[in-house]
This record gives sequence, C-alpha cells and structure tokens, in this order.
Amino acid sequence: MKAFGYSQVREPAEAVRAARQTPGAAFIAGGTDLLNLMRDGAQHHDHLVDINHLDLASVADSSKGLRIGGLARMRHVAEHRSVRERYPVLAEALEASASPQVRNMATIGGNLLQRTRCGYFRDAASACNKRAPGSGCSALEGWNRGHAVLGGSEHCIATHPSDLAVALLALDAVVHLLGPDGPRQVPVDGFHLRPGNAPHVDTVLRPAELITAVEVPRPAARSRYLKLRDRATFEFAVVSIAAVVDLRGGRVRDVRLAFGGIGTTPWRSPEAEAVLRGAPLTVDAIERAGRALVRDAVPRQHNGFKVELVQRALVELLSGWGGSR
Amino acid sequence: MNDGLVGRPVMRVDGRAKVTGAARYPADDPVPGALHGFLVTSTVARGEVVGIDKSAALAHPGVVAVYTHADLPRLTVPTFPYIKGFIPLQGTAVHHAGQPVAIVLATTVEQAGEGANLVRIDYRAEPPTASIDDAPQPPHLPKPFRNRPNEIARGDAAAALAAAEVRLEARYSSPPRHHNPIEPHATTAQWDGDSVTVHETAQGVNLTRSVLSTAFGLPPDRIRVLAPFLGGGFGSKGPVWPHTILTVAAARLARRPVRLVLTRAQMFTLTGHRAEFRQHLRIGATRQGKLTALVETTTAQLSRTEESIFNESDSTSTLYDCPNVHIRQEGVPLDLASSSYMRSPETTAHFGLETALDELAWQVGVDPVELRRRNHTAVNQETGSPIRGKRLLDCYRIAAEAFGWSRRAPRPGATKDGDEYVGWGMATEAHTFAAAPATPPVTASVTIGADGRAVVRIATQDIGTGTYTVIGQIAADALGVPLDAVTAVIGDSALPYAGVSAGSATIASITGPVDRAARAARDAVVALAVADPRSPLVGVPAAEVVTAHGHLFHARDRERRDSYRAVVGRHGRPVETTGTLLNAPGHSWGAVFLEVRVHARLGSVRVTRVVTAHDLGRVMNRRTARGQVLGGVTWGIGHALMEHTAYDRSTARVVNPNLSTYLVPVCADTPAVESHFVDHQDPDSTALGARGFGETPITGVPAAIGNAVYHATGRRVRDLPITRDKLL
Repeated sequence: MKAFGYSQVREPAEAVRAARQTPGAAFIAGGTDLLNLMRDGAQHHDHLVDINHLDLASVADSSKGLRIGGLARMRHVAEHRSVRERYPVLAEALEASASPQVRNMATIGGNLLQRTRCGYFRDAASACNKRAPGSGCSALEGWNRGHAVLGGSEHCIATHPSDLAVALLALDAVVHLLGPDGPRQVPVDGFHLRPGNAPHVDTVLRPAELITAVEVPRPAARSRYLKLRDRATFEFAVVSIAAVVDLRGGRVRDVRLAFGGIGTTPWRSPEAEAVLRGAPLTVDAIERAGRALVRDAVPRQHNGFKVELVQRALVELLSGWGGSR
Repeated sequence: MNDGLVGRPVMRVDGRAKVTGAARYPADDPVPGALHGFLVTSTVARGEVVGIDKSAALAHPGVVAVYTHADLPRLTVPTFPYIKGFIPLQGTAVHHAGQPVAIVLATTVEQAGEGANLVRIDYRAEPPTASIDDAPQPPHLPKPFRNRPNEIARGDAAAALAAAEVRLEARYSSPPRHHNPIEPHATTAQWDGDSVTVHETAQGVNLTRSVLSTAFGLPPDRIRVLAPFLGGGFGSKGPVWPHTILTVAAARLARRPVRLVLTRAQMFTLTGHRAEFRQHLRIGATRQGKLTALVETTTAQLSRTEESIFNESDSTSTLYDCPNVHIRQEGVPLDLASSSYMRSPETTAHFGLETALDELAWQVGVDPVELRRRNHTAVNQETGSPIRGKRLLDCYRIAAEAFGWSRRAPRPGATKDGDEYVGWGMATEAHTFAAAPATPPVTASVTIGADGRAVVRIATQDIGTGTYTVIGQIAADALGVPLDAVTAVIGDSALPYAGVSAGSATIASITGPVDRAARAARDAVVALAVADPRSPLVGVPAAEVVTAHGHLFHARDRERRDSYRAVVGRHGRPVETTGTLLNAPGHSWGAVFLEVRVHARLGSVRVTRVVTAHDLGRVMNRRTARGQVLGGVTWGIGHALMEHTAYDRSTARVVNPNLSTYLVPVCADTPAVESHFVDHQDPDSTALGARGFGETPITGVPAAIGNAVYHATGRRVRDLPITRDKLL
C-alpha cells in the first residue's frame, strides 16, 4: 500500500474543506471497505481525512420519519428500537449484511459508498473499466456468476453490493450531502449511477462531498427484506428484495420493490410495482410482476440463473405477505 | 493402561497459550535487524519476462534491494517435496500467473509492499489455458509419482463390465480449491556465515531442511528449521514452496535477516491447491448390488512444469471388494500453478465413487448401507493379504442406529417440512495414512531432570491437531507421572528426527518412539533407584517396581516408595533415553450419515444433522479426535456446497483470491455433529493401537450431502459445489 497522509477533523465543514484542499484525499470512517480497496490496489489516496469524530452518528425517529446520521454505525441503526418497529426492512437488511464485527465499525454513509465486489475490479492486474477506465471489462466473458443481469452496459456489469441501499430505495429515502457549494439532498433513487459509458463513477457524489445524513419517510405499510446468498451469513446477496407493501383487503394499495444482486445499482422496478398496484396479491399477480421485472434482463454465461431466482424470490417474499398463496 | 491418560479427552496443553497469544508462531518473534521481503508476482500466466525496471522501487523510501533472476545465484531445483518443477527467479520464463519474478527488501513491510508495486516488469505474453475444458491436447497418463502408478488394473474389468447384470455410468467433477489456513505462509531466514536458521510455517521441519539443503547445496547440519506452532496447514505447508527458497536466498545476498509473509492472494498461486478434477466411472454389479467391475478414468489439472497427480483413486482401488478394477489417473497440463496435497487427497475421487454407489443402490433397489455391507472387504484389494482389525461394519451400524436410518423414507422427494424437502444421505469415509520413512528412523528422546520433570524432544510438529497434548499423554502414561510433569519440545529440525505432519502420519509415526523413549527413561530411573542404597527401593527387583503420579512403588508393598525427583536428584545428572520404532501405512474408516433440507422454491441447501462413526484403532485423545471430525465435516460441507476457486479463462488469473469471495462455511452453515468412535487396539499398529486418522473425516461428507440432496429432491448433482442454481 502506498504511504498516505492522515488528518482528523471535528466539523463537517472542516471535513469538506480538508478534502477539497488536499489533492488525492478521501474520507475515512469505519474503513471496512476503503482499506481493502487501498491494499488491493483498486483505489489510491494520498491522504485520508478521518471523519469519525464528526457529530453525525445519531439516529432520531419522528412522525415525519427517520433521520440517520451518516456516521451512525450499522449495528447501532439495526438495533434502534424505532427502526426495528417501524422500518423492519431496514433492520433486516442491515442484519443480513457482513458480520457483527464489520457492522460495529461500518457506517451508513460508507455503506452506500462501498464499491463492487467484482473480482476483476479488486484485482489490479485485470482489465476493469470501473477501476481503470478504458482497460476493458473482464467480466463480460469471464467469471460473472455474481454479476448484474439488469442495468449493465458493454463496459461494466458489476453489481452494487449494499443491502442497506436496497432497503433505503424501497423506503424512498433521501441522502443529505454537504459539499463545497453547501448542502443538497438527493433521493436514494438516482444516487447510484448505472455504468453506461462511465462505469468508474458509482454515484452522483461530487468531489469533497460528504454524506451527513439519510432521511427515511415513515412507511404506511409493512416492509420486509429477503436475502439469498451462497452461505448462511457474512456474504453478499446473490439476489435480495426489499418490499414495502400496503395491503388493504387482499388488494395491493401501494407497493415499492427494490432488488439487490441483479442490477448494476440497487434496482427499483416500477414495471413490477405497476403490475401489482391495485391487484390482489395472488401468486399469479406476483409471477406477472416478476416477469415484468426481468423483461429486459441480459443474462451472461454464469449469472443466468438469477433471472429465474429473483422471480422465485419475489413469490417467496410476497406470497407469504398475508395475501392468498 | 486403561486408567491412564491415553484415550481420555484431555484438554490441549497449549490451549491457554494459543488463546491468550502467548504461543509464538513462526512469524511472531521480532528478529533484530531483519528486512521485510515482498514478492513481485507475474501478472501474465504464460510467456516471458522481457524487461525489468527497478529504479522507482529502489528510489522508494526504505527499499534496500530488489532482486530478480539477474541477481540470484543459480540454485538446484529440488525434487519431492518441492512440487513445482522449477525455481522462480532463475530465468525469464513465466509458467503461471502469480509466479514470483522479483523480491523486494525494505525496512518495513509497507515499504516492501509498495516497492513491489513500483517494480515495472515487461512481458511477452502468450494466451494461457486455464481449464480442462479448454485444453488443446487430450489428457495423458503421467509417469508414476513417488512409485505410485497412475494406471491400476486387476482382473478383467472390461469383460466383467460387459457381462454385468447391472451397469452404471456417470461423470463427476470437482472444481479447484485452495487450502486457506488462517495463518499465511511465512519464512524468516537468518544466516550466520554458511549456516542458516529458518523460522518457517512448516508441516515438516526436516522436509524443509532437506529441500533447502538441495537447493543451496548445503549440508543439512548447516540448516536449522523452526516451526513451534502452526496456524493450520491442511497440506499446503507440507511441501516447500518458492517463497521459502527465495527468502533464504535474498537473506544471503543482503547479508541481513529477511522475513517474508505471503499475502492471502499470493497463497492462491504459491502454495498449492486441489486440482480441478473430472471422473468418469463405469460400474458393473449383480442385481443384488455386489460389485463385479469398476472402471474409472480421472482427469486432473497438471501444470506445465509438474506432472504429479494428487486427486488419488485409493478408494476406488481399495475400499470395496471388487475383483475387476481398471483405473487410469490422467492429467492435462494447464498454465496454472502446480497442484499439491490437500487434506484427504482421496476426497475428489471418493465423491464420485460414493455418489455412484448411492446411484447403484437406487438402481438395484437396495438400501445404500446394505449395498456397502455387501461389498465390504477385510482383504487388501491390492495385495490380497487380510486386513486385521477393520471395524467399518461397526461404524455403519453405530452411526445408522444413532441417526435413526431405519426410519428413512423409501422414496426420493417424499418428505417435506414446510417449504423444505428433507433428505437423508450417507457415505463411507476412508483415508490412507502414511508411514514415516525407515531411514533415518523416527526418534524421540526423553530427559528426566533433577526436578522430576520429563522433557520429550522430537522433531515433529503440532499443526493444530494436538501433538503437544498427545505426546504428553503418551509420555506421562509410560513414565507414571502427571501430565503437567511432561514438556514436549517439537518443531525444530535440531531435535531427534521425525517426519512430516502430513498424510495423517504424525500420531502413527511418533507414538511408538515417544512411548519407547519414555519407557526406557522409566526403566533407567527404576534401575537407579533399586541400585541406590539411599532409596527405599534398594534391592527390589526392577520388575516389581511400579510408577504412578511421579512416584516409584514396590508393587506389593506400596509403603516402599521413591520419586522421580528424588532418584534423579540423588543421581546428580539428568537421565536421558531415546526410542525408535517404525510404522507402516494403513487405513482408517468411518461412516457419515446426515440430513439436508432443500428449499423447494429457492434451492437453498442446509445441512441440519450429522452423525459420524469412525474406526481409527485406539483413540488417543477423544477431544482432539473429535476436533478432527468437526473440522472434517465442516470442510466437507464447504466442498459440497460452496468452495470453488474461479480462474479467469482468458488470463488464467484467480478471480476470487480472498476469504471474502472464496467462500468457506461459517458457523451458521454447520450443524452440531454427533461423533462416535469404535475405540479398539489395531493389532498391527505400532502406535499403542492407534492409526493415522486426521484426514479420514471429510472424505465421505460431500457425497453424503449430494446423496441426501437426491433423497430430498430426486435431483442428482454430480458437479460440485451444489449451489442453488443447480437445483432451481
């Protein structure tokens, strides 16, 4: 690993200033991903600005919704009583993430900014457009079992690994940012970018911008998270689903569905939601929604099973919701 | 002997030191003035180094030296146990991705690592081949490895197959897999003139010494190898690998001690692996399920520089009674690192055999346990001589009863619990354990000091299996002293000779020598006592003296007693004895029964119950033996359900060289294991009735899981791992 400078900051504005003024700087909070990226040679930084001492770690719930500080630890949020009672999809997604040790360290802001686990991205000697723009994508014809079937381009098919982001997407959460030009808000829906022609850009975050908080409107309905993976714990999703379903009298009054593991970003499916909205929550309706979800899927050599699996997972999650099986 | 320590579930004598960090592993102790080494490894898999620019690396703060093939002296390529065929940094050829092409020495490990990033290597690259499927040439039969032929033929298998009442033909496969001990491989080399001390993560201090002796042309007595503790090896630390030789060479060039620790990613190309493996099995049998023919062709990945095959077909050849056998172990050279031994080399071929027997059982309508009973043998299939003390039938009975096998549903797919299909499966377990070479003989020494304490010295290793503890049990029993009066000193090539801790050979090969040395020490102390006028035992015939709890008693008059401490104290100098005893190779057996639950919609497989029974001769320590079962079952679950090294087909680079993406089971994947032992003295054992055992549990687990998945779902998965995509 390259030697790097290190400084600590006490105020958010100071953090932004430090990051803007120091060439090659990055923020470090829990460091659970950043340090691996630097060790693997997937990312280089000349300076790290330690933001762990900023007063951004609180979690507060009100009738309007939940406000989670950008530096709140995953464990703290997952164990928060209001989160467990009113935003179960969030607690379930967090507890299905990583390991207790990682959740003790990793922050909400860092979780949204973690980078893909694509093996080619993390191998400095492999071609990867996300790591080295223009070098090519090894995954297209390579080992792509974990890769996306939706939202890819000819330059990148890597998935975003966050479970939290999938849950926040289904909850219509908003990310609060502070940058050199002041604060701004960006919905989670749109925060992560599809690879297109610029797979090295993961999010809309601008240079020196800091995630100060995530706001989650209180859902009027039940929410749940289903995660499927290749071992029981401590593993990223093969397929995951966050669902918020407002079911009245057996009919879907409103529904929000977000998916992990199948898209290059946390994946919202308005098409699938449209099939279900207003319909009785029957297996037939859920299966039609699943087909709408994967209509534009582009399977590759090793990840084609995800197209079938995500449809089955959707039936698994929704058919047990209280509607008819 | 039965009320002694041997056999009891004695706690590990080194357990506290390990969990408190007091145990010092080979890379733990600081070496004054040591430089840190870091390997620069090839990014291409096939081709040649055509240019090296060290300038940026040498300009980096702290970097002391960068050595390449232009700097290293020519070394002699050792043969076994150096399983590589070439030493890197001896020329420009590149044989696999991740091959060392330079070594950087620096003051700190971070500086060495960044220095390695800054060495610029230019290659002339050729397209590599990374998979058996892509190999341009057909597989071939390699020459025998260590005198083991790759073709075995008995009877007339072709004719027997053609004439068989029932035939079964199937193809099975296993992916490449890596050992992944938690402790990375590490070497610290310290030269003193023409002698070198090497702190090494070694399963065999003497094997490491012999390889270094050949490579550097040094007499063995100029080389001392130390490995007091090991953080897991699983076969990957048995052979000696290039980083060890390169570190020793670099330390000599730099005239400074050098420490080098491999990264996790480097362990995926530099320390061996279980080769990608295919198996084509044809079985002939009677309608009652009695085997009449076994025809097997296996195909394993080889490298461009090494032709050895480690996915051994011992089980096909020896496990069951079958007069007509034809086995060919073929290989295909690929542009990958050489494969090597990995815990239970039989496991890959055993998976196919034990799956095929399950398929045969369904085909002929015979219970799988009964089918195995009908094919049981107490005759060595290769030599025709009787096998004494084989209790495999007891294993079937004990495990089947404990599991409740008789209540098994008669049809596949017949049992459902909620959303999950429930299935039961079983398989035989079997492993061939190795013997230590006869020359030099394995030797232990025992020294009784004036404090009455015993020190056992032997150049064996504790690779996490409990060697320290079992040595203590053996010696304490033989001497008649408490366990805490014995100290084992091991892991040092300067000690009395012992072999490698691999092939489940440790207990089988060291027990006899330790027991003999301790009995000799006891006899020597008794002789001193009965000859000593100051001893209450003076004049008592030696045969009438018994020892217990550190004391010596007259067998018929226990008031007449002395103690080790008093006798040796009066003697005025320590009593030292040695013992040697040879051992022979052999087998340990067992049976594993387990339950899986398969989610009907999502294809998730959970192993929910495991019962094992093993015949390992005499159980030396019920606790550490059970530890081997737990580890083996857990690893078997990994092999069955998730483990898989992925190579990129166009670059031949490992795509998942870390424990984040190379999946091994976590606690939540592993159910409680009920383990039983058929505890008896093997009449042919020279190890107090014990046999080599460690690698036996795991061998049957992947097949038992696959067989249970079939019972649950009616789906037969012949290609490991059984991931959910194969069950949707």
